[in-house]
Amino acid sequence: MLTAYAGILASVLAAALLLAAPWNAATLAGALLLACVPAGAAVMCWIDSGEGAAQAGLTLAISISVLAILSAIMVWTSVWEPRALLALAAVSLVSCSVRLRNEVPR
Amino acid sequence: MIRRGLAEIVAEGAADRVTTRRWRRTGLSAPEQQASSVITFVASISVSLLGVGAWIVGVTELRPSGIGLYGLLASDDLWFVLGFALLAAGFLVELRASARNWVLGLQLVAIIVAIHASVPIIFRAPEYAWVYKHLGIISAFSTYGHITDPTNIYQQWPALFAGVAAISSLAHVSALSFAAWAPLAFELADALLLIAIFRLITRERRVTWLAIFLYEGLVSWVGQDYLSPQAFSYLLWLAMVLILLRWLRGTPAVTGGRLARVRAPLVAGLPPAEQTTKIMRAVAVALLAVTYFAIVAAHQLTPYLALAGVAALAALDLVRPRWLLALMAAIAFGYLAPHYGLISQDFGGLFSGGTPIQNASGAHGTYHPGAEATTALIVRVVAAAMWLGAVAALAMRRKALGRVIVPAALAFSPFVVLFVQSYGGEAIYRVFLFSAPWCALLISSALLELRFPRRLPIRWPLTACVCIAVLFGGLQGLYGPVRVDAFTPNEVAASQWLYAHAARGSLIVLPVDNFPALEAADYNDFDLEVMPSDPQEGVAWLDEGDIPAVKQWLTSLGHETGYIVISRSMAASAGYFGAPKGYHQLAGSIPASLGGSVVYRNTDATIYRVSLD
Repeated sequence: MLTAYAGILASVLAAALLLAAPWNAATLAGALLLACVPAGAAVMCWIDSGEGAAQAGLTLAISISVLAILSAIMVWTSVWEPRALLALAAVSLVSCSVRLRNEVPR
Repeated sequence: MIRRGLAEIVAEGAADRVTTRRWRRTGLSAPEQQASSVITFVASISVSLLGVGAWIVGVTELRPSGIGLYGLLASDDLWFVLGFALLAAGFLVELRASARNWVLGLQLVAIIVAIHASVPIIFRAPEYAWVYKHLGIISAFSTYGHITDPTNIYQQWPALFAGVAAISSLAHVSALSFAAWAPLAFELADALLLIAIFRLITRERRVTWLAIFLYEGLVSWVGQDYLSPQAFSYLLWLAMVLILLRWLRGTPAVTGGRLARVRAPLVAGLPPAEQTTKIMRAVAVALLAVTYFAIVAAHQLTPYLALAGVAALAALDLVRPRWLLALMAAIAFGYLAPHYGLISQDFGGLFSGGTPIQNASGAHGTYHPGAEATTALIVRVVAAAMWLGAVAALAMRRKALGRVIVPAALAFSPFVVLFVQSYGGEAIYRVFLFSAPWCALLISSALLELRFPRRLPIRWPLTACVCIAVLFGGLQGLYGPVRVDAFTPNEVAASQWLYAHAARGSLIVLPVDNFPALEAADYNDFDLEVMPSDPQEGVAWLDEGDIPAVKQWLTSLGHETGYIVISRSMAASAGYFGAPKGYHQLAGSIPASLGGSVVYRNTDATIYRVSLD
């Protein structure tokens, strides 16, 4: 649950900072947030490792792995569109939201 | 639920039992115990806060110009050293008393910040000359969005560089502006993953926190956490270990074949693996494959260190599914095959030869008497003590090796690399890095379980001595060469001016290979040459004090003009290593003997244009 909330918060904040923040420091914070949380949260919100540090560590590791692989693919294919990485925030938002909805008893 | 299972591999409850016994012996009532707990809490927090304060005073008073060849710890500023001593003391007080997770966590974060934020605060520029080469690749990807130099090995393993280039492009800031903070970020992330892993291996929280403390001290000298593919890959390797131990650990078969019988004493006492579902195993395999592919696409050596680690666990039948190793090998060799030419060119192939002893000898230092030799000796003692300590810890557990077999396998499997590769003299440093967490865990477990006669209360004094020795030994290794390794904004500004103003194709000459060069996106449009005068670079036939020979070598490069850079860090390097020979003579004679005219100068760097007709 916490991972899902973290994923939603990070995705929204990262997108907002990257799209609207007027200062470089804020856009850098947004880019780092995008790199470190959404992709991992999208996966880890469905997995319970049972340990906060493990949950946070794997969220981070999966996020930067996905970002690095997608960026490398852009370099290999010469299609350099870093803003497309904002899709990670969208995917995370959907995945984490669905996870939270599934938790609500009907 | 997760913490059970593997949780009994290393010491369980040892230190807790010690504390309980102490209370019982002292005969304290519950309220007295509570009061005592509050006092130790206040003491540990106060000491740590004083440590943070002393470190802040120290780090704000230190100036690059005031740092000598023995580094930060030997500077005149006692506040800096006092800060680390108090931070360690506060941590140890809390560890011995109540070992509250949140307090130890905050104290550990403070220690990591103090270790890795000092140099960025003092110098305000990324440390290590080779970081600037990485920045050049990042800049090239960020500017052009594709591989610009197929012969550059960094560009063919682009995952980390491309990822940072994407962050840089998204944020519209140069990676140069945040690269200095990479060691701090990587170490915090590594510590987070290690906490999670150690909690899977041991239920005893004191062992976990002590192991992290020892680890941070041990690895601080090895300097593998700067903005680099290896730091990135190492972090992902820790994530892989976490996934393996959490979801993919198997229970070894100890009856049946000959192999099982050989394995039986090694896994005696190993707790059964956690129950997990087939689906979760499949998800874990997928996550592991993605993480491993990111490692493979980022760094040349780490995939094989990871493969060695998983192979060691697989040999003990601790990995499920059993074909996981084959999957990893397929990913690693599948990526290597089309890139083998570059590996062959840079490292003499996958098997570069050399005996393990040769491959373990490390980079070719000059062992210059004084600062370099002293610092080198200290870090060698730290490294030797780590491995000997781990072996001693294993010897203590010889009757139930299964309890320590996982950290033991991970601690000693990286040595396999030394049988096949020297990795340009750097393999031993990677072996140390990959071995360090598990050695730290074994040592901390042994320290907290050592049995002494009742009247000999030396467990905690011994633990404190080990912690202080490891921390300050590691810090000397990290901060000892800082005058050489770190650069000032002035030096970076000189380099940026050069790449912005020199014509494409220009010759740039470095008398010492210690300058923030190659950080520009178009780095390969310039002919950067380092004078062949430093034994650390392998070829060292030129005496830089022999000006006619220098002139002849410059002319042989085939350019009409060239730029020669002289800088503060080059002078520091020549003083620290005692090489290259004649550097100071050359630096003083460029205008007169080589006819060089100054085209750029600030307080830390001078650039000369020299006619080579």
